[in-house]
Amino acid sequence: MKTIALHVNGEAVERRVPDHRLLVDFLRNDLDLTGTKEGCSVGVCGACTVLVDGKPVSSCLALAVTADGCRVETIEGLADGDRLHPLQQAFIDRGGFQCGICTPGQIMSAKALLDENPRPSKAEIQDWMMGNLCRCTGYYKIIESIQAAADVGSD
Amino acid sequence: MILSPFMVNFVSVGQPAGHVEGPAKVTGKARYTADVALPGLLYGKCLRSPFPHARIVSIETAPAAALPGVHAVLTGADLPDRRIGRFFLDMPVLARDVVRFVGEKVVAVAAESMDVAEEALARIDVEYDELPAVFDPLDAMRDDAPRVHAETSGYRHPPIPDFAHPGDDQLFPDIPNVVSRVVYTHGDVEAGFAEAAREFTHTFRVPPVHQGYIEPHASVVRIEPDGKIDLWISNKTPFIARGQFAAAVGVDEARVCVNPAPIGGDFGGKGSLMDSVAAYHLAATAGRPVKMAMTYTEELLAGNPRHPAVVTLRTGVSADGRIVARKATLVFSCGAYSAFTPLHTVHGSVHAAGPYRMPNVEIEVLRAYTNTVPAGHMRAPGAPQIVFGVESHMDLIAAELGLDPLEFRLRNTLTEGDAAPLGDKWKKIRCRETLEAAAEAAGWTEAKPPDVGRGIGMYDREPGAFGPSSATLDIDADAKLTLMTGAADTGTGSYTVLQQIVAEAMQLPLSQVSVVQGDTDTAGWEVGAGGSRLTHMAGQAALAAVRALKDGLIGLAGRQMETPREQVAYRAGGFVRTQNADRLTLTDLMASLAARNETPLSFRGDYVAENPVDVTSFCAQVAEVAVDRETGQVTLTKLTTAHDVGTVLNPLTHQGQVEGGAVQGIGQALTEHLVVQDGAVTNLHLGEYKLPTAMDIPELETVLVESDAGPAPYAGKAVGEHSNVAVPAAVANAVADAVGVRLTDLPVTAEKVYAGLRARGERGGET
Repeated sequence: MKTIALHVNGEAVERRVPDHRLLVDFLRNDLDLTGTKEGCSVGVCGACTVLVDGKPVSSCLALAVTADGCRVETIEGLADGDRLHPLQQAFIDRGGFQCGICTPGQIMSAKALLDENPRPSKAEIQDWMMGNLCRCTGYYKIIESIQAAADVGSD
Repeated sequence: MILSPFMVNFVSVGQPAGHVEGPAKVTGKARYTADVALPGLLYGKCLRSPFPHARIVSIETAPAAALPGVHAVLTGADLPDRRIGRFFLDMPVLARDVVRFVGEKVVAVAAESMDVAEEALARIDVEYDELPAVFDPLDAMRDDAPRVHAETSGYRHPPIPDFAHPGDDQLFPDIPNVVSRVVYTHGDVEAGFAEAAREFTHTFRVPPVHQGYIEPHASVVRIEPDGKIDLWISNKTPFIARGQFAAAVGVDEARVCVNPAPIGGDFGGKGSLMDSVAAYHLAATAGRPVKMAMTYTEELLAGNPRHPAVVTLRTGVSADGRIVARKATLVFSCGAYSAFTPLHTVHGSVHAAGPYRMPNVEIEVLRAYTNTVPAGHMRAPGAPQIVFGVESHMDLIAAELGLDPLEFRLRNTLTEGDAAPLGDKWKKIRCRETLEAAAEAAGWTEAKPPDVGRGIGMYDREPGAFGPSSATLDIDADAKLTLMTGAADTGTGSYTVLQQIVAEAMQLPLSQVSVVQGDTDTAGWEVGAGGSRLTHMAGQAALAAVRALKDGLIGLAGRQMETPREQVAYRAGGFVRTQNADRLTLTDLMASLAARNETPLSFRGDYVAENPVDVTSFCAQVAEVAVDRETGQVTLTKLTTAHDVGTVLNPLTHQGQVEGGAVQGIGQALTEHLVVQDGAVTNLHLGEYKLPTAMDIPELETVLVESDAGPAPYAGKAVGEHSNVAVPAAVANAVADAVGVRLTDLPVTAEKVYAGLRARGERGGET
């Protein structure tokens, strides 16, 4: 067991956790932040993507103890009250979601992309988003959503 | 406002809206089954069989039960001897005496945490005595084949449904391991072959593929002190699940409530009870609620993948290139149990003649038990396997006849007035128009660089028109409308489409209409998602609810206006007296009803499709590929998909179905394959089972050939199970066009193409 102190969506959190607890289980079960989803459990599908100190991480592969002292961002922290983040709004307006199970991971990965590269090309979006599987959309509308959010962000 | 090509003015219908389902899903607030948290929740997990066919000699569970934190350990012997299934009740909840596939559930445990549950499984010792096994459906039908089920006479099932294509149906015929044999005939196939100038026979094989939803199956069961059972389940048909679950656990249906939860991807695969019955028995034993969430490895090992198939097609053609006879023999492996399919057969088999004019047809469909993972439904069940054969066969015949593949198809496509191959009479047949639109958009006649090829695939499918739908429409004191449906949200945007239909019919803004999913205690009986039926069936039920609401409110408005109801009409948010211009707004009516404590009001709409649907929807696709002769690598550079559609009620969700389906088809064409060795699936994670990524998608051109005939409200048709079906055939045909290599099995991999090039002597020297 180890005590970890971190910031989750801007709030200070301190918890005792077993050393082997995965970050995804810590978020979902200990903090009830179930917006982060578990799909493949092996770091391939990207459904569990969260940002740790601004970088996208597969929370199914990370131990909770490795987030000690870090800033963790999940889908629940993205909107400003009732005001959706431009990526969230774009995913609604452009059909970037369908069943929605991969959507939190898609949006968190896309946020990391736009934070690093505010005006990505289509090819850059495809390359960056390769690690986030979606079975519903065929990706076309996810790419359009990210492009639309980038346009909003640069206005 | 959108103008439809038929000059009907719509207000809400036709808008690219995505606002009902969106906010909860993009903020993480949507709670899927695996997200359900309850006080005292235990975690359930199953030990699975490592053998494809074995007798269970003994099971030692005491060390697991003794582990602190373990609350229940169950084997098949602890449960009632009751089998479960969607049509045939042939599958035990936990294996009894015999295991029949690698991954079959043998022991279930419930524990305080997943860690403890996994530790408990590791302490269980099962002794098996291996039995001879059979994996291939053709082998399974041989007289000397091991029998997957020694006895089938006790497997109960409902009556065979009365479908539009009555066939000669036999259940458990006198053929080893065969579950069902169905023969569809139209015309006289032998007479047809007798008049044919030439005959062609080819056989194709299609391996199993997984639905690939990103949400693994999950179930949560809570048993209340009064005996009421709360169920959350990744099941797209909550009312059917309720009935099957109640029968499986042996309680009255009224005691079971299936709670709303979005489905994290369905594609046909989320229609079973999966782990919910085991979870019930664990919860009953432990006296605490239990959650069972499969891992993706369990999904790939023991989900309910698409049926593998062997497709043999024999076709007779006249001297002028017209098809005169088709005999199809379709053999499906249903795996170790038939429990995951809602029918006795694979109904996509009716497409073995394609959308072509042919007077004489015989289609024989066999489903055989094998010691492999039980097969289930996936987006257009059976169709991609069969259409891969049918459309490859068309190109092979065209080549033999010296005809361009487009020309050969155009000589044979259904046209207005033709009977379909099995005799259906459809109106507004747009098969030829759809094919021509695809060919034109794809530049079919344009010159191609070396090693670039184009291939065609075609398919047609009718709108789903089965089972009842219902909807409840409430109106409150503020004149806000809420439509409650019992249909689960699988991600297709159905709630938004229902909102648009209600808003359109009421001539009110979308913001005045909400759509919610009701639990099975509250909502009206509804089949749910499947077969592209919701826009049609749930949409018509919503319209019926609007009619009931208007009818009820007109009476109340008449009372308010002191006018006989016959002289009151509803127009765009208000009521008018037909004799003069007096108007009572809907808002004012509801406010006055509220003052009399007469709100909210509730109205119900029901819909059952009474007649066979008399339209279908055609889809024509052209794949363009570039083949690297050095490696055999196939690059899909462009996919053109043309669809015969009715009114597009929501362009955003409609196109979402086209695009998502197309990319699923691309996965089946190029990369997806559950690799089964000695009966066991061996590619057991999503790094090895290769779904398409954002890097794998081609240029996609969609062409909509619009029609004004469709059974859904405002003349909509179906689109959900069209774009995925013919892609594998189109890709294989394109590869043959590019480099002359004809593959008769899927997926189209670089290794196979390379081997084909070598066999043709076009790659030599290397080893």
